[in-house]
Amino acid sequence: MTELLQFVITGITVGMIYALIALGFVLVWKSSGVANLALGQLVLISSWFTYGMLVQAGLPLWLSLVLIILFALVLGWVIERFVLRPLIAQPILSLITVTLGLAFFIEGAVSFIWPKSVAALPRLFPQEPIHIGTAVVSQEYLWAAAISLILFGLLSLYFKYHKMGIAMRATADDQMAVQACGIPVTKIFSMSWMLACVLAAVGGVLMSSIGGITFGLVHTGLKAFSVVILGGLNSFLGAIIAGPIIGLAENLGGGYLTPLTWPGVREVIPFIIIIIVLFLKPYGLFGEVRIERI
Amino acid sequence: MNWKKLLKMAGVVSLALVIAIIPLLGAGCAKEEEKTLKVGFSICYTGVAAEKGRPMGNAKLDCMKYINEELGGVAEYQIEVIWRDNQYDAAKAATIINELINAGCLLFTTNSSKMMMASAEIANRAEFPGFAVFSAPVLTNPPQHIYAQMPDYGDDWAAFAKYYLENIWQGEGRPKMVLHLLDNPTGYGARDAALVLADELGIDIVATEEHTATTISEIESLTRINALNPDILYISSTPQPTSIIVQNAVELGMYPGITIGCGHASFTSVLVELAGADTEGVYGVYPTVNWGDDVPAMAKMTEYCLEYHPDDYGNMDYITSWAEGLVVAEILRLAIENVGVDNLTPQAVEEYGFKKLDNFDVGGLHGPVSYTPGDNRLSKSVRVFQILDSEIVPITGWVEAPLIPYEFD
Amino acid sequence: MGLPAGTRNYNYAQDMAIFRTKTHWALLLALFVILFTAPLYCGNYWLSVANLIGITIIAATGLNILTGYCGQLSIGHAGFIAVGAYTSAVITNRLELPFLVGLICAGLTAGLIGMIFGIPSLRVKGFYLAISTIAAQFIIIWVINHWTSVTGGFMGISVPPASIGGITFISQSSQFYLIMVITVLVVFLAKNLARTRAGRAFIAIRDNDLAAQVMGINLFRYKLIAFFIGCFLAGIAGSLLAHWIGFMNAENFTLMDSILYIGMIIIGGLGTTTGPIFGVIFIRMLQQGITFIAPWLEDIFTLPAGFTTGIGPMVFGLAIVLFLILEPRGLAHRWQLFKASYRLWPFSY
Repeated sequence: MTELLQFVITGITVGMIYALIALGFVLVWKSSGVANLALGQLVLISSWFTYGMLVQAGLPLWLSLVLIILFALVLGWVIERFVLRPLIAQPILSLITVTLGLAFFIEGAVSFIWPKSVAALPRLFPQEPIHIGTAVVSQEYLWAAAISLILFGLLSLYFKYHKMGIAMRATADDQMAVQACGIPVTKIFSMSWMLACVLAAVGGVLMSSIGGITFGLVHTGLKAFSVVILGGLNSFLGAIIAGPIIGLAENLGGGYLTPLTWPGVREVIPFIIIIIVLFLKPYGLFGEVRIERI
Repeated sequence: MNWKKLLKMAGVVSLALVIAIIPLLGAGCAKEEEKTLKVGFSICYTGVAAEKGRPMGNAKLDCMKYINEELGGVAEYQIEVIWRDNQYDAAKAATIINELINAGCLLFTTNSSKMMMASAEIANRAEFPGFAVFSAPVLTNPPQHIYAQMPDYGDDWAAFAKYYLENIWQGEGRPKMVLHLLDNPTGYGARDAALVLADELGIDIVATEEHTATTISEIESLTRINALNPDILYISSTPQPTSIIVQNAVELGMYPGITIGCGHASFTSVLVELAGADTEGVYGVYPTVNWGDDVPAMAKMTEYCLEYHPDDYGNMDYITSWAEGLVVAEILRLAIENVGVDNLTPQAVEEYGFKKLDNFDVGGLHGPVSYTPGDNRLSKSVRVFQILDSEIVPITGWVEAPLIPYEFD
Repeated sequence: MGLPAGTRNYNYAQDMAIFRTKTHWALLLALFVILFTAPLYCGNYWLSVANLIGITIIAATGLNILTGYCGQLSIGHAGFIAVGAYTSAVITNRLELPFLVGLICAGLTAGLIGMIFGIPSLRVKGFYLAISTIAAQFIIIWVINHWTSVTGGFMGISVPPASIGGITFISQSSQFYLIMVITVLVVFLAKNLARTRAGRAFIAIRDNDLAAQVMGINLFRYKLIAFFIGCFLAGIAGSLLAHWIGFMNAENFTLMDSILYIGMIIIGGLGTTTGPIFGVIFIRMLQQGITFIAPWLEDIFTLPAGFTTGIGPMVFGLAIVLFLILEPRGLAHRWQLFKASYRLWPFSY
């Protein structure tokens, strides 16, 4: 029984990290309808840049954070301008594939600039684990969860009330109408990519301060897809709720199924969930349902 | 109209000529060259394993340079190195091994067990001998033409288990061990050894857990492990997941308390860097010496390393591959001594080189290298280390890992 | 635009022929002669490269049918190839049945599993389907890794050489013949598939599936058939791959490989028969080039540590992105343009 509490708490906290990355994905989808399959790699490159600033250049924390945000903004702008803008009206296959090509490129660039495959970041949060009942949870995870919630709140408010946020939602709905209203669509795409990269950067910094920087960050990015599918592709609320659900499923499923079946069951659970969701409710819990009789 | 047709025909003919000439060029210009000893290296110089492959490649080539220039080659003959980058890709490794066989190499090496697995079938069928620096049990069992330079992950487990029973275990009866394995041959190598030997040694394996190289939290599996109250946790993995497991174990309060042992793939300074003070007291095994230890080959190796590849100084894989170069030279030397340089074929090199290795000390860089029939592992010993004060400190001399009777088909 | 001026068709057969003029036949014959006499003058190394290219062409053609002709994006192709490879390995190694049985079963198993993972295509399309195939890839690899009793788990499984009748295909040249014959058959099949009813249904589904449904094409049935055929070919390729390398390990089939396959057909040209051939040759030669470049560059000057690690993926990623931006119809389209200008020269305006 004590294990149950531990599994639940670990599941929820790990899930919040997935949710944080998923937010970045949902952001890009919501504003431009592009599926960003290079998400994991964006997290990776932001983490390495953080390493470069904090460790290699030895800059103080506050300056590094500012530089990281700037870097993410520039990266987002460059990606949108040079990779996505030429492909504006192309079919979705091209858009998805170009993000795949981008993913390859960023992975190569990371190996190119920072040849080490693993690195440790200095700890940003206190290390003392907190005891909740009989269960233990590391403070770092709690901080990460808290930051995810705050970002979710900010994003939702932004999209609901801020002028730019409303413009983004409009663009996702109907680009031509938006242009007819005089809003430059390209600028909106740029904004959305820049914000998405900033989100990825924040996620990357949090994750790598917990576990170090490795190619595992890309894999966690893949798990974020299961969060996105479960929660619905264009819903922030969906991402925040689905994150802990996937985390719980992983830990509870892994926790109780592993002695019965094979070790390592935990790894495959998010992907099985993807398939099940696609069979039953393809648009996810909170996603917008496209009614198309096929 | 007419000259256009003529032009078209001329174009087709010249194209056909070009296509016909290419294979003729490929058929090669056989030029007279002085006798050299050809060896082939299949190195994962780029790709995902480049972090290990690159320093190992550098070390091998530096060692070959040292042997050719300072020692005048092997028995006065220069070693000609043909090396290719297999990018840690099995298909590429398969094409490379074909190229090496074709080019008349006498033997080959790879630095990774996965690349050797991709090359082994082709090499075994062609009776082309070679050895893998980092090996896996399936390569040397049943023993054919592939050898292992260093003990593999199963041997690590066996050596650590022996050490634990002799020196650390204080209680009555049989200790309870949990294996935490990486989801690839690095991890499962230890399990295969444990399956065969644990009972005989007197250890109970109470659980086997698995993790991926990309894990960010192992609290879930450690909670399960904690409930079983084990005495030892053996982790066969790479540095990053090992650091996560150790940190989580400390968080849950399991460690310090149980004994933690690691295989050599994770027991490097990166582990200490990632997990920090949590790793205090963790045991591990490693098959080579450390930089700065007082052994015969250390001086030359350090000199070449600092001159040609100063970035690799301090990297344990450099030591491993420098030793590899020394082993290659020794094999060639023995073969020439036994059959003479004019009778050198890959089969002769295997029969009179590999199989005649007898206590070659490899400059003291790792355990002595010998061949015993039925056992294709060249070096069988490791040393046990412990992390004390954030330093990896050796606590034993060379411990020999017993031959494990695997049953692979 | 495909035929030289002055060629007239007098009956339906002539109109529909793939190889219409004498030049076409002559070139085809020349190609076959050069191809099948290659083992006489190519060294083992180039033969092994050619074998790898042949195997990849089979898999890429399968993916082309699925994604290029039918528009169902599949980023899990390496997983299906793995299914084929392991089926063949298990059948020839554990069950000790002949190679041909292994080959056919590999194709069928892969096709069936492809069909199962293609079932979501009934309800979703585009990106959702892509995610489903990514999930398929991971699940397949996970099952392979953990089903130790059958597949040998993480340690892998050794594969005996292919043999048909009494002939064992061990040397590169014998395998070359085996692989090339199958490749030629597969390409021929794919070319003709586009001209059958099923092929035209695929193209209709890709272009506008609602309109196709309205015209009476049973979407679900044809989508499943596309998955089956695409993954059947992947299975065949996997089986040949297994017997060529001789040792099977699930680590060979990563997500990056799936992405590389997509890159191959995009660079080559989606929805054409020659597209996969061009794309595969381009990418494989690029990879082989990198195998040589690192040693050669190292000999000349010492490179910064990260250069050789990163240069491969960077080049591929860049190639995919540039091709998508500048030439979305791929190398096959360039080839068509080249042929057209050659035919019309000097009047190619």
